[in-house]
Amino acid sequence: MKKGFRTVCVILAACALFSSGAFAQSKTTVTIWNYWETPKHQETLARVCKDFNDSQGKIEVVTKYIPFADFKKQLSIGAAASELPDIVIIDNPDHASYSGMGIFADITDKMASWPDLKQYFDGPLNSCKLNGRLYGLPFGSNCLSLFYNEDMLKAANCQPPKTWDDLKSVALKTTKGKVHGFGISSVQNEEGTFGFLCWLWGTGNSSFKINDANGIKALSLVRDLVKSGAMPKEVINWTQGDTMNQFISGNLAMMVNGPWQVPTMREQAPNLKWNVVQLPIGKKAASDLGGENFGVVKGDKVDESLAFLKFVASPAEMKTYINDFGYIASRKDVAATQFTNDAVMKVFSAQMASAQPRGPHPRWPEISDALSLAMNESLTGIATPEAAAAKAQKTIDSIVGTK
Amino acid sequence: MNRIRLFFRYGNIGYLFVLPAMLYMLALVGYPIVSNFILSVQDVTVTTLNAPVKPFVGLRNYRMLFADGVLQTSLVNTFVFTCCCIVFQFIIGFALALFFNRDFSFAKPIRGLLMIPWMIPMTVTALMFKFMFSSNVGIINQFLQSWGMIGQPIEWLLQPQLAMFSLIVANIWIGIPFNMILISTGLTTIPPELNEAAAIDGANKRQSFFYITLPMLKPVIESVLLLGFIYTFKVFDLVFVMTNGGPVNSTHLLSTYSYKLSFTLFKYSQGAATANILFIILFAVSVMYLRFVYDDKGAA
Repeated sequence: MKKGFRTVCVILAACALFSSGAFAQSKTTVTIWNYWETPKHQETLARVCKDFNDSQGKIEVVTKYIPFADFKKQLSIGAAASELPDIVIIDNPDHASYSGMGIFADITDKMASWPDLKQYFDGPLNSCKLNGRLYGLPFGSNCLSLFYNEDMLKAANCQPPKTWDDLKSVALKTTKGKVHGFGISSVQNEEGTFGFLCWLWGTGNSSFKINDANGIKALSLVRDLVKSGAMPKEVINWTQGDTMNQFISGNLAMMVNGPWQVPTMREQAPNLKWNVVQLPIGKKAASDLGGENFGVVKGDKVDESLAFLKFVASPAEMKTYINDFGYIASRKDVAATQFTNDAVMKVFSAQMASAQPRGPHPRWPEISDALSLAMNESLTGIATPEAAAAKAQKTIDSIVGTK
Repeated sequence: MNRIRLFFRYGNIGYLFVLPAMLYMLALVGYPIVSNFILSVQDVTVTTLNAPVKPFVGLRNYRMLFADGVLQTSLVNTFVFTCCCIVFQFIIGFALALFFNRDFSFAKPIRGLLMIPWMIPMTVTALMFKFMFSSNVGIINQFLQSWGMIGQPIEWLLQPQLAMFSLIVANIWIGIPFNMILISTGLTTIPPELNEAAAIDGANKRQSFFYITLPMLKPVIESVLLLGFIYTFKVFDLVFVMTNGGPVNSTHLLSTYSYKLSFTLFKYSQGAATANILFIILFAVSVMYLRFVYDDKGAA
C-alpha cells in the first residue's frame, strides 16, 4: 500500500514538473537588471512584474539584482560578451554612455505612435535621448533635499537653514558629543558627485565648470563644514544608505538625502521626529535630478520589452508603485495626483523645480570622477579647494574640450 | 599520414600527452594575455567598445598613465604593501610555526583554530576591519581612548598614510596562517635525529636553528615567499572593500586602479595597460623564482 502511494506521488510530481516546464517554454522570458538595494524596492518591483505576468500569457518578466557598485561593470562585460539582459534599470546620467556604446535599441520609431509620450517631463525624457533619438523611458525621478531632526534643532534653538551660512552655523550648533550637525554622502564615485553637484550648481556653475570663484566656493563649503567639526570626515566612506542609517540612529542632526529613503525611514524609525526642507541656497536654488530610466537592450526581444514598458508606464499601473518607491512620477498626469496628503514628499515635488540632470555626456563617468576627486581632496584637506579645482578643471577640459 | 606515423614512431609520442595541457594553457592563459596586450595598445572606451575596428595607438595609453600620477602612487603602494605584508607575515608565521611545532597539549587544535583568518571570505574580513578602524565608532579607537593612549580619535581610514597602514595590518592578519601552516608542514619533514645528533655534538638551540632548521627549510621558504608575493601583489578585494583606493586615490594598488579605469571610468585600454604592468612584474618574479629552483637543482 505504502509503495503504491509513493508511486502515485512520484507520477504526480513528474506530471507537475513536465506541465510547468512545457508551460514556461511557451512564454518569452524578459530579464530586467536593477540595482535597488532596499528590500522595499525589491518587493515593489517584483510585485509590478507579477502584475504584468498575470495580465497576459505570452511574456514572463524576471528581475535580477546587481549591486550598484558592480552594475556598470556587469553591463560592460555583458556588452563585450553579448550576454545582456533585455531591459536595464539604470542611473539616468549613464544612459547616454550606454546609448553611445550601442547597447540600447533605438526605439524612437516604435514609440512614435504611443500617445502617452507627450505626458513625460522634459528633463527625465531627455536623459533617455542621445542626438535626438530615444533609447528608453524614464522610470521615475527624484532629487535631493535637506532632512533635519526636529528635536535636535529645537534643543539647539535653531530653525532649519535657508542659506549656506545658516547651514554652517546650524550644523555647528547641533554638533554635540557623538552627534554631528550635518552629513552628506561624499564617497569618491558617482554617489559623491551626486551630492556635491547641488553645491556647485547652487553657485550658478554648470557641471563642467569648477575652476573659478564659484567652484572654489562650493569646494570651500564642504571643507569648512569638516574643518569646523560639524560634518564627520567619515562621510567620504558613507553611501547614501549609510548616511540615512546614521541619521535615524541619532548620530546626525541634518543630512542631505533623497525621497527614496523616506519609506524605509518611516518603517525603521517610526518614533524619530524629522522633517524635510528644500536645500539651503547659495546663489540660486539647485538640486540634483536623480532617478532611473528603463533602457531597452538591442536584440530580438525589443517588442516584448516595449510591451512591458508600456504596461508599467500606464497611469493606472504607475500609481500603484511610484509612491512605494518614494519617487516622483516622470509623467505629468501621475505626478499631479501624487502626495496630496504627504507634506514630506511635497517638499521633494517642489524641489524638483530646481533639480538639474547631470551631464549629459557620453564620458560622464570620467567627468564625475574628476569632480568627486576634487570634492574629496578639499574635504580631507589633502589639497586646497583652489588646487583641487584647477586639477579637476584640467581633466574636465581634456574630456569636453575647452570652449 | 605516413609522415605523422613516422614522427610518432621515434619516441615523439610524448607530444601527444602534453597536447591537452598545451591547448588548455593556450586557451585559458595564453589567449587572455595576448588579447589584454592588444587591448592595451588600442584606444577602447565607451564610444569604441562595439566598433568593428578599434583604433591603434601604440604605447600612448602607457604614456598617459605615467603622466597622470595615480599609476606611480599605485606602483609604490603595491610594492610597499607587498614587502611590509610579506616580512611581517613571514616572521610571525614562522615564529608561530616553531611554537606549535613543540609538542604540548592542544598544540594541534590551537594551530587549527589559527587557520580561521585564512578561511574567512576576504570581503567579510575587509568589512570587519573597516568597522574596527572607523574613527568614530571603531573598536580600535575606543580601546586606545579608554586606555588613555590617545586623546583624539585617530583617522585610520581617512588619512592617506594611515589608510595604507590599516590595509597592511589587515592583510598581515589574513596572511599569517598561510605562512604558518606551510612552514609547519616543512618543519615536520626535518628528521628529529638531525637535531638530536647536533645536540649531542654540543650545538645549542640557536646553532641548530640556523645551521639545521633554516637550511633544511630553504625550498619551503622559497615557495612560501613566492606564493606570498604573488597573493599579496595582486590583492584586490581587501582594498576594494576597505578603502576602494581612497582617500583621494592614495591607497590604490595596481589591481584596484586597473579595475577603476576599466569599470568605473570605462577606459578599457588604460585598465588593460595597468593590468599588463602588474602582469609583467609578477612574470619577472616567477622567472626569478624558477631560476633559483633550477640553480639549486644544478648545485645539488
